[in-house]
Amino acid sequence: MRKELPDWLKTAMPETAAAPDTIARTARNQVESLGLPGLRDEEWRWTNLRAIQRGRFNTPTGVGADIEPSIHLPLDNPLRLRFIDGVFQGVPDGVPEGLTLSSLADANDDTRQAAFAPIPAPSVENPNDALVTLNTAMASEGVVIDVSANATIERPIVIEWLDGATESVMSHPRVLIRLGQSANATVVEHIETVGEQPAWRNSVIVSTIAANAALTHIALGLDGTSRLATERTFASLERDARYHSYNIQLAGQMIRREYDIHVGGSGAHTDLVGLMMPRGKQVLDTHTRITHAAADTTSNEHYRTIADDAGRGIFKGRILIEEDAQRIQAYQSSNNLILSDNAEIDAKPELEIYADDVSCSHGATIGRLDEEALFYLRSRGLHVDEARGLLIAGFAQEVIDEIPLVDLRDWLTERVERRLGDRDTSGNETA
Amino acid sequence: MALLEIKNLHAEIEGKEILKGIDLTVNAGEVHAIMGPNGSGKSTLCHVLGGRDGYEVTKGEITFDGHDLLEMETEERAVAGMLLGFQHPVEIPGVKNIYLLKEALNAKREAQGLDEVDTFTFMKQVRELVASMDMDDAFLHRGVNAGFSGGEKKRNEILQMLLLEPKLALLDETDSGLDIDALKVVSEGINRMRGQERGIILVTHYQRLLNYVEPDFVHVLYKGKIIKSGDKTLAHRLEAEGYQEILEEAS
Repeated sequence: MRKELPDWLKTAMPETAAAPDTIARTARNQVESLGLPGLRDEEWRWTNLRAIQRGRFNTPTGVGADIEPSIHLPLDNPLRLRFIDGVFQGVPDGVPEGLTLSSLADANDDTRQAAFAPIPAPSVENPNDALVTLNTAMASEGVVIDVSANATIERPIVIEWLDGATESVMSHPRVLIRLGQSANATVVEHIETVGEQPAWRNSVIVSTIAANAALTHIALGLDGTSRLATERTFASLERDARYHSYNIQLAGQMIRREYDIHVGGSGAHTDLVGLMMPRGKQVLDTHTRITHAAADTTSNEHYRTIADDAGRGIFKGRILIEEDAQRIQAYQSSNNLILSDNAEIDAKPELEIYADDVSCSHGATIGRLDEEALFYLRSRGLHVDEARGLLIAGFAQEVIDEIPLVDLRDWLTERVERRLGDRDTSGNETA
Repeated sequence: MALLEIKNLHAEIEGKEILKGIDLTVNAGEVHAIMGPNGSGKSTLCHVLGGRDGYEVTKGEITFDGHDLLEMETEERAVAGMLLGFQHPVEIPGVKNIYLLKEALNAKREAQGLDEVDTFTFMKQVRELVASMDMDDAFLHRGVNAGFSGGEKKRNEILQMLLLEPKLALLDETDSGLDIDALKVVSEGINRMRGQERGIILVTHYQRLLNYVEPDFVHVLYKGKIIKSGDKTLAHRLEAEGYQEILEEAS
């Protein structure tokens, strides 16, 4: 089943970590027996970690602190939390009232306990699996985002993952996001490769959303052909809470992103929206797992993949509805577009329903460009290449249109169009 | 010179011959109606004229405005001035109507050696056309035909024609499935397109459209051939007597 933990990873195990001692010690004892997930593991059927296994990654040395991102997102007065190769660069000045940002290394015992406590996620056999346990054992860096009850933080909080600054570096950062009752915040993950070095980031984000609070979480994987990432997001929702997730993955050698959403209070709702555009030999993989653990909860999931060249896109969406969770509405759609003979897309919905009063639907489509639509556009005078580009961009646009930040939406539209504009030149350059 | 000249056109799809020798001449300024029962080859004729993949012309020739039409790509036909109105306009969510209209107009202008249309003039013209088709401005920012009713889709086809001002408008069952209000709006649009410079071909299953748009010529298509041609009274006869009578008479 599993792959044995490579020696270089065993020897990289630190003596001390950001996790509380007992949790860290337990994790360190477990990582060896857990190993790394292998292809026979049902959750890893389509994605392998060979590039990590063979990678010989080192822990970061903390150099390159003056590195700036080269991609500028159109965000209004953002609060930047910068990680260079997983090393946190410190809390910014001018943090608004109602928001507390702190380095995980400086956090008190209770906070560290909250950030690293084993996570309950009934929709998956072992939520604290090999990669999460590895993160627990190794995390030395991280950040805590606390939003007070009733506070609305207008400024977007941007976590900048700047990967690949130094050679063959791995990092295991952990982020804790806590929203108090009726709080509102937007967190954006800006994921960028800042060097041509191979890099592996194994990050975990744990978010707890109290009653009636709303977290908008946008993840933007923007570039990189040598970037490896295993990214895990946990969100637990209390009564009437909302978690809105937008996951845009435009590049990366192998990106595996997993969401475990625990919809645990009545009236709570989650949206999971995603777009993946693998090309070259990129593998972009998202697994989502939603647990409806309370009655009168809703979820809406909309994922799209566009695979070009020899790119591979993977989407697996699991929805678990527990026995006492009645009057649930859960919708999932996964639409996928294959642009080349060598591209591959695997899409799998999985529903597990134990309640009886449930409205639940899912649909997955995988296809090529609609010939009828292509003919329609050409019959209006559009050149075949333009018509094709327009259809592909339009397919992506339906996901982008769901992002609530207008400027960011427009920026992404343009970026996707630009990326489509340079397709066919070489399948492998960055966006 | 005729605007469109079809000579002895034979075409097949997947090896099955559908068009079996069509001759048709359309001059600028004329409105032709092509009528026929289901399976007579009406849609195939439209698709062949539009240049749709999968339809193979095995014999015959088509000249459009001096060009050998069969040598032209679909988009070349469009920018040269032949526009096809679809029987089932395709839904393209994610591509906005306004964007398609502008790109289509600019494609035509480029072919004519003109600069891109300026946004102000374009928007003004489009808004007027939208109002004239009894449509809402909001439609411009929706996806092409996405979630439109049957009537809205057909109005949209006419709207595109009014903007793009083709030399030849080929309308494939534009009237099918329309309620009477939509039919009136669509017919008015078609009548506005009528003019000395333009040919119009109405391909239709029903005579009803011809009460609103009066054709100069009516042709009956049956089993891949035009078996009878006449003036508008032929359409009235078809309505009154049905196809059977005419078919028997022709054979």
